[in-house]
Amino acid sequence: MKTSFVVFLRRNLAFAKLAIVSNLEYRLNYFVDAVLQPTITTGIEMLLWFAVFAGAATTEIAGFGREYYLSYALWGAFFARICTSWMYESRMIQEIDTGSINSLLTRPMSYYEYYFSQLMGYKLITTLVSMLVPVIVILIFDLPTHFKRLPLAFALEFYYLILVHSISFVVASSAFYLNKVHSFTGAKNLALWFFTGELFPLDLIPEPLRSTLIALPFSAGVYVPVGYITGRLEVSSVWQSFISITIAIVIVNSIGAVIWRKGLKVYAGTGA
Amino acid sequence: MTTLKKYLSLYLALFRTSFIADLEYRVNFMTRFVTDVIWYSAQIATFEVLFRHTPKIGDWNLAQMRVFLGVVFIVDALYMIILSENLDQFSEKVRKGDLDLLLAKPVNSQFMLSLQKASTAMIGNLLLGLSWFTYSLLQLPDFQWLRLFWLIVLIPCGLVALYTMRFMIATTAVIFTRSENLQFVWYQIYRLGMRPDSIYVPWFKWVLLTALPVGVIASVPARAILEPPHLALFAWAVILAVILLYLSNKFWKYSLKFYSSASS
Repeated sequence: MKTSFVVFLRRNLAFAKLAIVSNLEYRLNYFVDAVLQPTITTGIEMLLWFAVFAGAATTEIAGFGREYYLSYALWGAFFARICTSWMYESRMIQEIDTGSINSLLTRPMSYYEYYFSQLMGYKLITTLVSMLVPVIVILIFDLPTHFKRLPLAFALEFYYLILVHSISFVVASSAFYLNKVHSFTGAKNLALWFFTGELFPLDLIPEPLRSTLIALPFSAGVYVPVGYITGRLEVSSVWQSFISITIAIVIVNSIGAVIWRKGLKVYAGTGA
Repeated sequence: MTTLKKYLSLYLALFRTSFIADLEYRVNFMTRFVTDVIWYSAQIATFEVLFRHTPKIGDWNLAQMRVFLGVVFIVDALYMIILSENLDQFSEKVRKGDLDLLLAKPVNSQFMLSLQKASTAMIGNLLLGLSWFTYSLLQLPDFQWLRLFWLIVLIPCGLVALYTMRFMIATTAVIFTRSENLQFVWYQIYRLGMRPDSIYVPWFKWVLLTALPVGVIASVPARAILEPPHLALFAWAVILAVILLYLSNKFWKYSLKFYSSASS
């Protein structure tokens, strides 16, 4: 039992390393993906908040000053980059579509773990590289951030990634039954773009939508961790998010397991 | 005139073929529509929420911002229907050698690359955008409906600006072969144009109307219907469209010199 667990760990560590190495292979591409894109997004969002405060002619919105919103926009863009999954989900879909999944199905591992560990490896290196930007900007411009809260915020973010991958697994498994499910990825990620709180802090939304969106596990992608480190939220919100993510992981993985098993039964081995 | 007729009938044939192909995958057809509905809703929600906390963003109030969003949706839908799929697959066409086939055809290669496939699933988006736009105009007090005529000129100019910038970025795939991430940078630049130009500082606004002209896509047409006519700005939008079209063709011909055929 102990040996098999060690093998499992080693195997998944190797998958994570594979993701890190393969992503760093094309450094310019990686730099654009991990640093340049979220930096431009941050710039656009910060300009919007400058304009919002100029128009409002007030020093505070919903109890927070302009610096809080700039800090939120800054961290938000980078956290959003971490909590979104395009690349691996697209690969999973493509493998089922084309039949190249066959070579993975014959290996002594599960399809879920193969991509899960790669996703985690990729997100880990992206976090280490990309988060330098907001940290430097915060230090230069002295924007509100509780650096002590960062470890718990990242812990929540990485726990949320389990849910993100589980949803990707469900989307990819539906490729056994349907053609061109790539568009599901687009629809799902756009919906999450709103639900995570990347666009604006979710507490600006009027009730009852506000409480509903915050209670959903997706707020753990951006709103809760960023709200926590910028001082909008307290630690109780983080614990609540851990609970809602756990419930969502159980539900989504149950659905995923059913779709996957049934999908394998109808799969002819030559591409879906 | 004969050439124009030839290209028009060719485009109609391509459009018809695309429609039949799109109908084959009905779930995909629906999902793509739903995806854009989500995108539109997110844009609307962002400004509706922000305007609960401020009376103005940039130069505009909520009613005017709704009109701006209407223009954004219409231009975006037109771009998605006519051009998006072709330009998104540009890199693939270069890598897989499909470009060879297009270059061998007895028609303008830029035309074929840009307009070969229409995304007819997005026609629903256009209807949705038009509905939102009409609704937003009806909310405007004292709106001068004659101003809508400006859109006949300015929306095509915005579309040309959008097309040429995207085309030139896509064309880098011929030179570098792998330039996917440059394409992703494009989406960030495009986002600059999805916000009203008045939120930007003056020098940056100037950049968005000249060097990186995403401001022409929606902000200029929106200004034409919301504000008294800025004739110089409108003339610039037309001149810019012509310049960009010319430059895109020149850049395309230049980049073809680097093309070394299939899987290059």
